Amino acid sequence: MVKKRSIHQGPADITFNITNTIIMLTLIIVTIYPLIYVAFASVSDPAPLLQHRGILWKPFGWTWDAYKRVFANPMIVIGYGNTIFYVVVGTALNMILTILGAYALSRRKVMWSRPIMLGIVFTMFFSGGLVPRYLLVHDLGLLDTRWSLILPSAISAFNLIIMRTSFQGIPLSLEESARIDGANDFTILFRIVLPLSLPVIAVMTLFYAVYHWNSYFDALIFIRDRDLYPLQLVLREILVQNDTNNFTNGALGGDQYRIGETVKYAIIMVATLPILFLYPFLQKYFVKGVLIGSVKE
Amino acid sequence: MAFLQPKTKAEHIPFLKKKEPFRTRVKKDFKRNKYIYLMLAPVVAYFAIFQFGPIYGVQIAFKNFTPADGIWGSQWIGFDQFTAFFKSYYFWRLIRNTLLISLYELIFVFPAPILLALLLNEIRNMKFKRVTQTLTYLPHFISLVVVVGLLVDFLSPNGLVNQILHAFGGKQINFLQESGWFRTIYISSEIWQTVGWGSIIYLAAITNVDPQLYEAATIDGAGRFRKIISVTIPSIMPTIIILFILQLGSLMSVGYQKIILMYNPLTYDTADVLSTYVYRKGILDASYSYSAAIGLFDAVINFTILIIANRLARKAGETSLW
Amino acid sequence: MIKRKKQKLGLLVLVLSLFILTALTGCDSSKKSSSSSSGDQGAISYYVQLNGNAGAIMKNYSNIGAYKQIEKETGVKVDFQHPPTDSDDMNQQFNLMMASGDLPDVIEWYWNTVPGGAEKYLKSGQIIKLNDYIKKYAPNLSKVLKEHPEWKKEISTDSGDIYGFPFLRGDPKLLTFFGPMIRKDWLDKLGLKVPTTIDEWHTVLKAFKTEDPNGNGKADEIPLLPDLNSNAFIGAFGITPGFYQENGTVKYGPMEPEFKDYLALMHQWYKEGLIDPNYVATDTKLRDANVTGNKLGAFISYAGSGIGYYTGLMKDKDPKFKLAGTPYPTLKKGETPIVSQEDNVYTGVAAVITSSNKHIKDTIKFLDYAYGDKGHMLMNFGIEGKSYDMDNGYPKYTKEITNNSKGLPMAQALAQYTRSSWNGPFVQDKRYIEQYMQDPEQKDAVNQWMKGKNAILMPPVTPTPDESTKLASILNDVNTYKDTMINKFIMGKEPLSHFDKYVKTMQGMGIDKAVKIEQAALDRYNKR
Repeated sequence: MVKKRSIHQGPADITFNITNTIIMLTLIIVTIYPLIYVAFASVSDPAPLLQHRGILWKPFGWTWDAYKRVFANPMIVIGYGNTIFYVVVGTALNMILTILGAYALSRRKVMWSRPIMLGIVFTMFFSGGLVPRYLLVHDLGLLDTRWSLILPSAISAFNLIIMRTSFQGIPLSLEESARIDGANDFTILFRIVLPLSLPVIAVMTLFYAVYHWNSYFDALIFIRDRDLYPLQLVLREILVQNDTNNFTNGALGGDQYRIGETVKYAIIMVATLPILFLYPFLQKYFVKGVLIGSVKE
Repeated sequence: MAFLQPKTKAEHIPFLKKKEPFRTRVKKDFKRNKYIYLMLAPVVAYFAIFQFGPIYGVQIAFKNFTPADGIWGSQWIGFDQFTAFFKSYYFWRLIRNTLLISLYELIFVFPAPILLALLLNEIRNMKFKRVTQTLTYLPHFISLVVVVGLLVDFLSPNGLVNQILHAFGGKQINFLQESGWFRTIYISSEIWQTVGWGSIIYLAAITNVDPQLYEAATIDGAGRFRKIISVTIPSIMPTIIILFILQLGSLMSVGYQKIILMYNPLTYDTADVLSTYVYRKGILDASYSYSAAIGLFDAVINFTILIIANRLARKAGETSLW
Repeated sequence: MIKRKKQKLGLLVLVLSLFILTALTGCDSSKKSSSSSSGDQGAISYYVQLNGNAGAIMKNYSNIGAYKQIEKETGVKVDFQHPPTDSDDMNQQFNLMMASGDLPDVIEWYWNTVPGGAEKYLKSGQIIKLNDYIKKYAPNLSKVLKEHPEWKKEISTDSGDIYGFPFLRGDPKLLTFFGPMIRKDWLDKLGLKVPTTIDEWHTVLKAFKTEDPNGNGKADEIPLLPDLNSNAFIGAFGITPGFYQENGTVKYGPMEPEFKDYLALMHQWYKEGLIDPNYVATDTKLRDANVTGNKLGAFISYAGSGIGYYTGLMKDKDPKFKLAGTPYPTLKKGETPIVSQEDNVYTGVAAVITSSNKHIKDTIKFLDYAYGDKGHMLMNFGIEGKSYDMDNGYPKYTKEITNNSKGLPMAQALAQYTRSSWNGPFVQDKRYIEQYMQDPEQKDAVNQWMKGKNAILMPPVTPTPDESTKLASILNDVNTYKDTMINKFIMGKEPLSHFDKYVKTMQGMGIDKAVKIEQAALDRYNKR
């Protein structure tokens, strides 16, 4: 197949391929730089790092001090554990509800689906604000429990809409023939729609998982028990502890704050790397292009 | 038998028989779609409890809310918060800056991930494609403080960009203190941060394109561009339209986090938007009511735009939000 | 193909159900852990932010040596509750707690960040007035307040109510920590003295610009990075960048005629290249780069994050590197600066007792202990023999604190025993700061910055909630406009002849009303 294509490639095709590759390479360089910078900075010696301007080609020296400072915090293991819990359970619930909702709302000839859809979109614009949200969680008895970080964000309207759009794209003929065979909606959802929607499912899983991984604000307002802290909250505290600008009563020795700058970068590495590893597992569902698809067929 | 025949037909197509009373239609619809409504039950319950439940809080936009008095106990002040905002010296500048940044986002930031997804899709080498895709989405994970820190570093008077300018004989530009440069910097860094992450949705949509369509196009002698234009783009059009409608619905909202890290008094002229203005007021005075009022003002405008956009989309084609 | 997809789907369902299973079991265990941490029945619940220095080494203030001891001495059990620490959103948690009505027994908070102050909560009854209780049950605090009537004024509301057990910084040395600093090694190299007047500063900055003090052969020195919100330089003209008072009359610095002279000076220096041309967009990161890169000659910062931080960073790299604090500049030689930097004794941190408290007497016993002699030593120096030893009547921190065996920074080592390295309801002792500042340059800088009459500084006034709302909407516009204009004046983008127009615009935004509000608040304060 590939060979055949190269025979068919005209000069226009070749130019296109070359241009495209160049664009992509430029994009890679530009987008990977911040992470490389952060990685290098996190293991650098703070003094020359602060003085340095412009592109960082390699770390200054090599020291794990910043990471040691981060992992010396008694909360860090608790934070990782909790965050994994929130990501796994939260995303699972998100996906179940979003799939059910997206399927139901993607069906034609459902009388109430339009008003329901309108209502859902309405919530993307109007909300009661923080205080009633807090009171609701308080009244439901969820305050200071793990559920307070899972239930109030059980569905994202945006993700629901994306998934619904994707479900709507599945050819009607498949559904109709199944119905003639006596399939009900659950069967259609699980036998036809879901197997054809793995890419969008992978994307939504990624979106939700990353959301849970990065979120801290709900924990900030709903959680007081430190044993329930997610990682991001722990990291924010470490950041505050090492912030060189954070002075309440003035005089402080340089010692503690010497590595304040590099701790900031170490925190980003600690917070980002694990979730990045999730990516390749999901990526294969939506990166595989038409070409590969047709080869497989 | 002849009597029963039309009845069953009507059950199959209940909407054709508009003359039926509302209650009968509801009943029939419910019977026909019982599984659908079963699926919807938890979803509707979630939105009812967690989204509509707290909606009564909107009233604080018309009140002088203090935490000590609570939402119901605070004093009604009508439209005072709104008039205070409309009368602000900077009202029109804030509206103008907000709308312009949104507009530029719509023109430059919105299409970027679509373009990237299309280009990625044209890469033949799978490994290269995967690697590119993985790397372009990295900026999404780097915190804003670091992103803006890098920007400041590169754009400062002897930063990288000025060094390059200098090498080509250009004049030094103090990018961050010139209000004329603010939008360009904001928008281009926005593209850089979001293009990879945003392309994921489109890539997923592209994988759903029926391969037979490409084969058919090839047989018809279509070249690469032809196929992109007449096969790929139409297939992801519903996704594009939906996201475009949603984007239109956020015309009045530009986030404050990045701007407050980037701007300074010399660039307020172009950089100060509604959200940053409210943010600065919040530092002086933790006023829930004021920000609620401005939030409501934004939301009403945004929602109106969205309704119009959605209606237009529905008239033009099949894709719409509801 | 379809078969494979089915398998994948099966896998998905399996994984999902596994997730839910872990969810259910995980939540059971979480319930257990939260119930065990909620502590003793009958203990006093005490809501307070966990300071970073303590948070780095412990989960709860009950581990602080001083508190363990005080609990033992008073027989009162305290259950500390810590909301997450986050400087950006800390008021959210507090406001939400107050709105929900679920109150702990004691709340320690930053009451000066609450619009309208604590008075609002006194009136609505969520926190209780303590005047009578303190008279009856708090002999130690009563004594402190009797000895220092000026402190009592700061911690009271306008109507004379005392609402909490305050954090008081008991010595001027604890109130001054911010000011101008200069590269002493550059001065020495060029044979110059530490500048004290505006004219001397001009000479020095000019020399920094032209005589290559960093010795790299390039004129890349940035003589001065100004801080327009500090009292440095502007103070020489007898005004401040914000509200100040002259014999009880409130004035707003940026609209006074002296402000024009100050702008003229800054513009002159800017034109001569003595001020960092990029000063508006310079964040701390760029400043760090300029200081450690041997470019910046003088700037305005803290004894800690300025002198302490940079000296520590440069110790190995450039042993000659030396920053010296300079006195706040004056116009005439030998004059005492009209205004320098001096914080208020009371920062707004106080522990209040809520209306849900059922053990008020015990609570007061516990809180008051810190203000007595024994409590004072515990809160500032910790446990004798462990964190300090008496040396001729001077409590000296032990090696365990100053040079910790586990490598803890001093602030964290102190947090094992005391709260002296941040704040809390007690009187802070100057002997803490004397030992805490390790560099002689830091101590010297504080002494230099303390030179100042500071009679024109505003005391900690409290506008009413209504007033502070009005004030906020006026100042939001005024600040936005003023900040832009000041920089344009200095950079010459706006000629100084437009100064009157600038003042008029601010008046149009209602600055006079804002001055009136501050005046009313000051009058009420003076009547306390």
